[in-house]
Amino acid sequence: MREFEYVAPKTVKEALSLLATYKEKATILAGGTDVVVRLRDEIIDPEFIIDIKHIDELNGIKFDKKEGLFVGANATMHEIQNDKNVKEFYPFYAEACGHVGSKQVRNKATSVGNLCTASPLGDSLTPMYCLDATVVIEGPKGKREVPVREFITFVRKTVLERDELVLGVKFPYVECKGIYTKNARRHEVDLSNIVATILKIGDEYRIAYGSVAPTPIRLVKTEEFLKGKKIDDKVIEEAKKILATEISPISDLRATKEYRVSVSQSILENSLKALG
Amino acid sequence: MKKINVKFTLNGEPIELEVQPNHTALRVIREQLDLTGAKEGCGAGECGACTIIVDGLAVNSCLMLAPELDGKNVLTVEGLAKDGKLTDIQQAFIDHVALQCGYCTPGFIMSTTAFLEENKKPTREEIEIALSGNLCRCTGYKRIIEAVEDVVNKRGGK
Amino acid sequence: MTIDGQYTAIGKYLPRVDGVAKVTGAAKYAADINMPRMLYCDVVRSPYPHAKILKIDTSAAEKLPGVKNVITGDYYAKRGGLYLADKNFLAHKTAKYRGEAVVAVCAETPEIAHEACKLVKIDYEELPAVLSPMDAIKPDAPLVHPELETYRVAPIFHPVPGTNISHKHFLKKGDTEAAFKKCDKIVEHEYYVPHVQHCPIETHTATVKFDQSGNLTVWASCQSPYAVRNALSDSFDIPLHKIHIISEFVGGGFGAKAGTTIEGIIIPLAQLNVGRPVKFTYTREEEFRDAYVRQGMLAKIKTGVDKTGKILAVENNFYWDGGAYNEYGVNIAKAAGFASAGPYNIDNITTNSYCLYTNHPVGGPYRGFGMCEIHFCIEQNLDVVANEIGISPIEIRRINGLRPGDKTGMGEVMKVSGYQPCLETVLDKLKYDPTPKKVSEHKIRCMGVAAGWKSPSQPTDAGSASIIRMNEDGTFYVHTSAEEIGQGSNTALTQIAAEVLNVNPNRITLKSGDTNMNPYEWQTVASRTTYCAGNAVKLAAEDLRKKIFDLAQMKFGYPARDMYLERDDEHDCTWVVASKYHRDMRVDIKTFALGMPLNDGSGIGGPAIGVGTFTLPNNMAYNAADSQSEKGVAFWTIGCTGVEIEIDTQTGHVKVLQMISCFDPGKVINTELYAAQVEGAMIQSLGTALYEAMILKDGKLMNGSFLDYKIPTAYEMPDVLESYVVEFPEETGPFGARGIGEPAMVPGAPAIANAIANALGVRFNQMPITPDMVLEAINNKKN
Repeated sequence: MREFEYVAPKTVKEALSLLATYKEKATILAGGTDVVVRLRDEIIDPEFIIDIKHIDELNGIKFDKKEGLFVGANATMHEIQNDKNVKEFYPFYAEACGHVGSKQVRNKATSVGNLCTASPLGDSLTPMYCLDATVVIEGPKGKREVPVREFITFVRKTVLERDELVLGVKFPYVECKGIYTKNARRHEVDLSNIVATILKIGDEYRIAYGSVAPTPIRLVKTEEFLKGKKIDDKVIEEAKKILATEISPISDLRATKEYRVSVSQSILENSLKALG
Repeated sequence: MKKINVKFTLNGEPIELEVQPNHTALRVIREQLDLTGAKEGCGAGECGACTIIVDGLAVNSCLMLAPELDGKNVLTVEGLAKDGKLTDIQQAFIDHVALQCGYCTPGFIMSTTAFLEENKKPTREEIEIALSGNLCRCTGYKRIIEAVEDVVNKRGGK
Repeated sequence: MTIDGQYTAIGKYLPRVDGVAKVTGAAKYAADINMPRMLYCDVVRSPYPHAKILKIDTSAAEKLPGVKNVITGDYYAKRGGLYLADKNFLAHKTAKYRGEAVVAVCAETPEIAHEACKLVKIDYEELPAVLSPMDAIKPDAPLVHPELETYRVAPIFHPVPGTNISHKHFLKKGDTEAAFKKCDKIVEHEYYVPHVQHCPIETHTATVKFDQSGNLTVWASCQSPYAVRNALSDSFDIPLHKIHIISEFVGGGFGAKAGTTIEGIIIPLAQLNVGRPVKFTYTREEEFRDAYVRQGMLAKIKTGVDKTGKILAVENNFYWDGGAYNEYGVNIAKAAGFASAGPYNIDNITTNSYCLYTNHPVGGPYRGFGMCEIHFCIEQNLDVVANEIGISPIEIRRINGLRPGDKTGMGEVMKVSGYQPCLETVLDKLKYDPTPKKVSEHKIRCMGVAAGWKSPSQPTDAGSASIIRMNEDGTFYVHTSAEEIGQGSNTALTQIAAEVLNVNPNRITLKSGDTNMNPYEWQTVASRTTYCAGNAVKLAAEDLRKKIFDLAQMKFGYPARDMYLERDDEHDCTWVVASKYHRDMRVDIKTFALGMPLNDGSGIGGPAIGVGTFTLPNNMAYNAADSQSEKGVAFWTIGCTGVEIEIDTQTGHVKVLQMISCFDPGKVINTELYAAQVEGAMIQSLGTALYEAMILKDGKLMNGSFLDYKIPTAYEMPDVLESYVVEFPEETGPFGARGIGEPAMVPGAPAIANAIANALGVRFNQMPITPDMVLEAINNKKN
């Protein structure tokens, strides 16, 4: 690992001032499960590491039915998956966070970090996409909120400016049923080759997939088709066909394109049957 | 590069030392503090051989920067046995032949130690999931799982 | 053994003697070596699969503060190698695989060494690369080793100069051509086994230091300290008595650490820095690419049977992707060649097994030593043949599996063979039923079985030695250089000594992993340790016992003939008893620890030491023209594995639900350690069957991390993972024992492949059998 300075601000204000000073020379460290590996592999070479874990404002998970859920930037996967409210009102998100890496990784990794990493296969992201979560950002010009679908722009690219900090993610509260599915080569501790969250809200469906495009995506055409429909074999078959037109997975070391399409369709079928 | 002064508790004893920010917690513990029970197997959080317990939770010490140790309560495998008496988990690993080359063993024992505090009545599947971040190439895992189940039973969890 | 003929230590469970050290973190591995003033090595690796090294400019690297030395292949110009001297520790003149070490740097910190590597400038001229065994064997293939004819080679190997063939092994028994004409059915298939990695959790590491008097100390994570000592002596012209290898605990070997590589790289750096230790540890990425890999292999198998299922003729062609250096790999091609009949009674067989140079990572031994690879092919082809003639895969094994009195492919008459009882045990325990069962809408379950065998592939003069010292209090040191790599040799050898001396095993400390302290051992490989080192320990204990009895004769005035040793745990001692008729005439064994005083005040005997040396008593050479021999190997270990799998037809995932094995290890030394070896081996075979392959693209390793090279976790463990045993003693084995560590891995992968084929009616001729492949087959069948 190359040399860098380590700073650990105690407030958001202090962090923002450091970011304003160092800009592209700085990398933010939260859980570190991604950043430390990238430091080790010299994929990144920052002069400053800003550890935000000492900023108490970024801790915690808050929920009420009016405001919905707020997941702070320091909330770990472990905290989220075991949070009473997340388990009760967003069980598919709890499950998603419980499928990230290993237990040791979940004890350090954060869901906001997962979001900022902006990997197409981020395990905790499809629930955010389904619920149209918003990313709460603070920068020198103050706070702004960005819909999650606009936050990630490409593989490992986001709209976050170098002098900005993500404070957390806001999920609206909606009464819904949801199913989270992850498919990987190995059952535990593996990267998804398909990850999906499918929600039923009233007579509408929300469908988000990861690992099928450069960013996680919502399958809006499939959602539109399914709206108000009674689920039967014919509808499912048609939905699977539409799904195949909306995703564009690639073949790589972890799975072939054909495999990903086929499994994506099976996940849709299983989820629709379960959700009714 | 500025060295960082860190204060933390290690196996119940206060530690204060200067660390390089670009060193991992694992390296500090192994090389500066000469506790070599935690091992490096991959350096990328994939094998769990470096597992230590920080504030009650099992973490990969290879993914933790040295300055992150500041203020923490850290437990390594060397801190488990007291006055030459092994913990029930350590003893169970011996009794069930839950180790062969032994290189992954401290990591497994630390993961188990933290996990059984969190879940006192785990199912076999929960144990398997909790330990799947620790790779073992020798045992085939069966005896490790049996050792953990034995501890659970003896502690009265079932 | 008690006077009533009961074993007191053998065939029992003794907790691992290294257990406490390993659960407390006290066990010190080579990776844990950390000394003041240590220097660190890092290397520059070739970015090309095959290239001529034109110019190396180290000047910028040398100027980096903290850099001590930057050296090139010129320091390593003398080629070495275990069986074929084709290897330099750093590339010399040409680099032969993508990743080969070309320049070595030594610096004050690992970070400085790493940065210095980036400052080294190397001009290469790319050469045409050989990237598959079938390309390597083409007559016009580029040559990986144009100077092959000048290499020193052990006489049992036959490189073909002017080609990429480093060894061609030929086996011929009977008249295959004529026999094929009599067959009712002949099936011919190709199978492919990819490169896989051992993945010990401790990567390769070594620390070396020269002192002012020219003594070299090496702390290495190695399986065979004496082989390392020999290789370093040979390569750097250092006399053996000046080299001290220390390797107390090894964090997993599986064959990967059988040779000498990383140790050699740092020797010149330590020579340039006398008095300072130099350490080099492979990263996980290097471990994947630059440690020995299990060689890839393409097999063409032709099996002919009559209509009853009797195998009449077999023809095998094995093409091994040996990689850039085949110093060790030649022996795998040889082992595969002479074992190519599998555990079957076949009168007519012809095999060509080619070890081929390619520009791929370097092949070497991996648990099974060629047997896992060839049995993936043999055992599947057997199922295919059975299906084609309409008999069950079990029946064909019952008809052809070796029975006592049958002849092996090498022409040896099997005095004992556990094949049939092992097969029947597995069928019984598994409640074998090959019918696919749909257990839910998207889940199918099915079973499959396979058998396998393995013998050590070792020189006929491979030796083992042991020394046993009795301390004044009647405790003992057993000295051996069998290496404790996790398999439990320290525990098993303790039991062997305890049995002969009839002492409580807790009165024995076993010393290994130090060439200055412990006597010679050829290598800890080949599943030979219980057998070879076990025999040496047994002989040493018998020697010590004899010396004690010789003294006791004088003390008791009774002949040694009737004496025996009696373990007395209640009094925490062992008695030397005059005879079973004079049981009260006894003394504590410690009486003789320092010899014995005589009546006149003088003494006799001196400190009690037993010596045992062993070399293979009945392992004869085989005929190079056809590999036939009355007894060409020390022993064969045979066994069988059966599995039940569940296939998810939506995702192609295969979960192994049950995995049950039965082997014939002759005599189990330690019941639980036997089971632990078999269980671990089964999961390793499961890994290769379903998950593991090194993906090489233009010679570049694409998945050199645990992120993308997946090995099984606890979750992949089958619900039922069981081992059983049948015991037909090995005539020359210690207490009848033969090796088990490697054979146990052999039948697992083909058993899984056979179960998948039984479930789907589709056969996969390649491993790993991934979800992609399975789902594609399922979808193709649907359409």
